[in-house]
Amino acid sequence: MAATRTGSRSRSRDLRGHVAAIVPTAFVVVAFLLPLIGLLLLSLRPTDTMNNVLPGFTGAQYAEVFGTSYLWGSVVESLWLAVRVSLTCLVLAFPLAWYLARSTSSVGKSLVFVITLSPLLTSEVVRSFGWRVVMSGEGPVNVTLQALGLVDESLPLLRSPWTVFLAVVHVLLPFAVLALSASLGAIDNRLLQASADLGAGALRTFRSVVLPLATPGIVAAAVIVFSLSMGVYVTPLLVGGANQSLAGLRIQTEAMVAFDQPRAAALSFVLLAVTLAVCGLVGLAGRLAERGRRA
Amino acid sequence: MPDRPVSARPPLSSAGRARARRALTLVPVVLVCAFLLLPLLVVALSSFNAANNFRFPPSGLSLRWYAEVFGSAQWLDALGYSLRLAVLVVPVVVVLGTLGGYAVGAGNFPGRRALGLLFLSPMAVPGVMVGLALLYQLQRTGLVGSAQGLWLAHLVVTFPFCVRVVAVSAAALDPALPRAARSLGASPLRTFLTVTVPLMRPGIVAGAFLGAVISLGEVAVSVLVAGAGEATVPVRIYSAVQVQLEPTVAAVSTLLLLVSVVTIAVLDRTIHVSRFL
Repeated sequence: MAATRTGSRSRSRDLRGHVAAIVPTAFVVVAFLLPLIGLLLLSLRPTDTMNNVLPGFTGAQYAEVFGTSYLWGSVVESLWLAVRVSLTCLVLAFPLAWYLARSTSSVGKSLVFVITLSPLLTSEVVRSFGWRVVMSGEGPVNVTLQALGLVDESLPLLRSPWTVFLAVVHVLLPFAVLALSASLGAIDNRLLQASADLGAGALRTFRSVVLPLATPGIVAAAVIVFSLSMGVYVTPLLVGGANQSLAGLRIQTEAMVAFDQPRAAALSFVLLAVTLAVCGLVGLAGRLAERGRRA
Repeated sequence: MPDRPVSARPPLSSAGRARARRALTLVPVVLVCAFLLLPLLVVALSSFNAANNFRFPPSGLSLRWYAEVFGSAQWLDALGYSLRLAVLVVPVVVVLGTLGGYAVGAGNFPGRRALGLLFLSPMAVPGVMVGLALLYQLQRTGLVGSAQGLWLAHLVVTFPFCVRVVAVSAAALDPALPRAARSLGASPLRTFLTVTVPLMRPGIVAGAFLGAVISLGEVAVSVLVAGAGEATVPVRIYSAVQVQLEPTVAAVSTLLLLVSVVTIAVLDRTIHVSRFL
């Protein structure tokens, strides 16, 4: 009898935090999960010619998404943008993450930390507005180019897809830096020293020591940046205008301009599925790379 | 004697080379930092432009756009709406985030990791999709364009960030302290409120500031659920920027930037770099 009592008491002491979880779990289920399920059901509803939602189930919305280049093409474009953005963010994030993780100067670290976080905590509209000004006809970029005599007339930079690309990289770079710096900080200094002592140059050390050990951070950064860039719409819309083939923008247009919510829902689930599939592949590739190295 | 300079040179030049190499590795750091800061600095600078344009460098400095913002009923309404919304969002999300972050960071029960993923999932789903799902739900309950609908949307968006920072504090918690309080006879609730919560304070403070700054800047979800009625500052900027570039937008944006700067200063003091996300 006494034994059972101590047993149950120690078990109840082991169980910790489950009561605290009840309210937030209920919140996420009601405010997020159920609406998402509602959206999934909506994507399976038929519509009439006025885009009114009818009862019943159909896969027609998905057939439409895969069948029209206007919609499916936007998913492909988003995928292409997300791949370029992820790779660029990884490359640009490396020096900052390395500095944050390795520098001995606490002032410098604090400064780089603040600069890294500043775009993250700044509203997307403010950053997009900033890029509009930077790239405008009389903005700093055009003024500099003209002052250097590289161009005679101001370039229409705002109409260039590269401006949207740069702005999206800017939005997502902090996520890559933070994800990378965590795993770079965990690399043992002695390994780097050992590599240098054995005669490896900086490049060799980077390739054979740093890169393999940073793989989890690289995978994490790639997954975060990729999945966030797949759905962006505010930045491309404000910087480059509504006339771009990007899935996030098309979802917004279908829902808010064409008022075809079932189609917008279907497109968003296709986008989510593609995003999750690519993230799964990236995670798998990272794990295989690690296992291959260990073998 | 004559070989002296020769023997003295190698250590000197290798030290010089090391310094040069260190300086060289700083170049990309500085360049990327400049890239991150460029649009923000340009916004702040252009808000003080005396002329009604965005020419660089500005021809003169003035505060006229700030005067215009504070003299405009539209912008004042938006600022008031944004602030009221943040005041209603932050306390609720702090309570939800504290409970959730504690459960995920310091909890010990089956399914804790899965619950952690569930709590962070609103961050992983594209904003346009969260907005669409909430829009459809709100339509069915007749709350589109209402403050309640926007409040709910902001809670969903800020919640994962809040959970994340509190969970970091909760994970660092020494379980011996609440256990001591319990063995001294404190009830579980009293232990949580008087021992556990104060120990998680850095995370909770960081979560509150993050929640405030994200709510004040949120646009991707808000645009979808906001309807045609009252608009928050970012939603108003969103509409304004699509029409044309106005210097008043630069002034309002700089005010938002100021909030971000304060938040960053708080975050820098309360939590550490690598643990932020």
